Amino acid sequence: MRLREIQDRFMATNIIIPTDLWEEDEEAVITTWLVSDGASVEEGALIAEIMTAKVQYEINAPASGIISIKEAADAVVPKGAVIGAIS
Amino acid sequence: MTATNERKLTIARAMAEAVAQEMRIDPSVFVMGEDIAALGGVYGNTRGIFDEFVSVRIRDTPISETAFIGAAVGAAQDGMRPVVELMFVDFFGVCFDAIYNLMAKNTYFSGGSFKVPMVLMTSTGGGYSDAGQHSQCLYGTFAHLPGMKVVCPSNAYDAKGLMTAAMRDDSPVVYMYHKSLQGMGWLATEPGATVHTPEESYMLEIGKAKVVREGSDVTIVSLGMGVHHALKAAAQMEADGVSAEVVDLVSLVPLDRDTIRASVAKTGRRIVVDEDYMSYGVSGEVIASVTEHDISVLKAAPKRVAYPDVPIPYARVMEQFCLPNPDKIIAAYQGMNAA
Repeated sequence: MRLREIQDRFMATNIIIPTDLWEEDEEAVITTWLVSDGASVEEGALIAEIMTAKVQYEINAPASGIISIKEAADAVVPKGAVIGAIS
Repeated sequence: MTATNERKLTIARAMAEAVAQEMRIDPSVFVMGEDIAALGGVYGNTRGIFDEFVSVRIRDTPISETAFIGAAVGAAQDGMRPVVELMFVDFFGVCFDAIYNLMAKNTYFSGGSFKVPMVLMTSTGGGYSDAGQHSQCLYGTFAHLPGMKVVCPSNAYDAKGLMTAAMRDDSPVVYMYHKSLQGMGWLATEPGATVHTPEESYMLEIGKAKVVREGSDVTIVSLGMGVHHALKAAAQMEADGVSAEVVDLVSLVPLDRDTIRASVAKTGRRIVVDEDYMSYGVSGEVIASVTEHDISVLKAAPKRVAYPDVPIPYARVMEQFCLPNPDKIIAAYQGMNAA
């Protein structure tokens, strides 16, 4: 457990809602996670879909590793929000 | 759960992947419809295809279903394999002659000289307050008329396999997908539809139902969105000591009566869940499939949880009142035992 905490603190890569996909400060909704919490993912893999109004965007894995989902599907999140981590 | 090769897809992605893969190996496959090209379909089910095939084999059409579905019938008879989209099934009115007099019947009228190998994909269902011209299912309307196969996936794995099978089928196939299962945020998405889906191409046999949950006390038969209501009801019933089996029809035409009969022979009780209108529809047909075959297996009269015979209301509270849901399924089971 302690090792995991240390790994999380020093090795985890946050999954962040990009700030440059749309211009306004509109919030997005996480429509679908395309991986399960705790699954192993490859960097660059498609892992989630988010949506503003009726425009859908894709979120790709920023690193390889085990994914930890912090914001579930249907959560409404602002630009820059941390929705999960990969460690 | 750690799954190293997990590859969950929404039904929208599964449909688009199946079509793109078939277009790569079969030059006779092409796609037509409203907003299906650059936009990728209002339900996302053709996203990415335009980028790969540009405008020759994926074509936006004017808002004239009569024209482009008629054109697809002609193209299919001339050796192509068109995939056309009727954006909302509710819009079938203007183009139904092309569908049920031409697409469905020309193989018969020509004594088999012509085949009509086309896929008509169309969205069904409500639940998000889009009123009576954008929320119907109309499964029974299409399944009633001979000459076309009719399928309705409840998850991404089935959606991909059914789409590939539909494109390779020499008969016309009506592919009815429920909006709430597409994985599009604005349509009240059901997460249970987003499942692991292999990348390689595969077919799901049209005309085969699936037992998606095993049980011994009651069989709940449904399709599309109703399968998810049934699974949720079954999970709640289990907490009360009731073992419910859930059958996903997957295909309406051909209807897999054998799987329905085998399940009801085991449980003796049956509830049919259908978001289409109650009367003259899928629910009555499923019930007749068992009762005209062997009434001795029944321990109770069958029940239906279907849409009331009224035009679909716009007001949210009224629409939700009319729609099937897990609570109504549980109440149907309780009513069955009280009788």
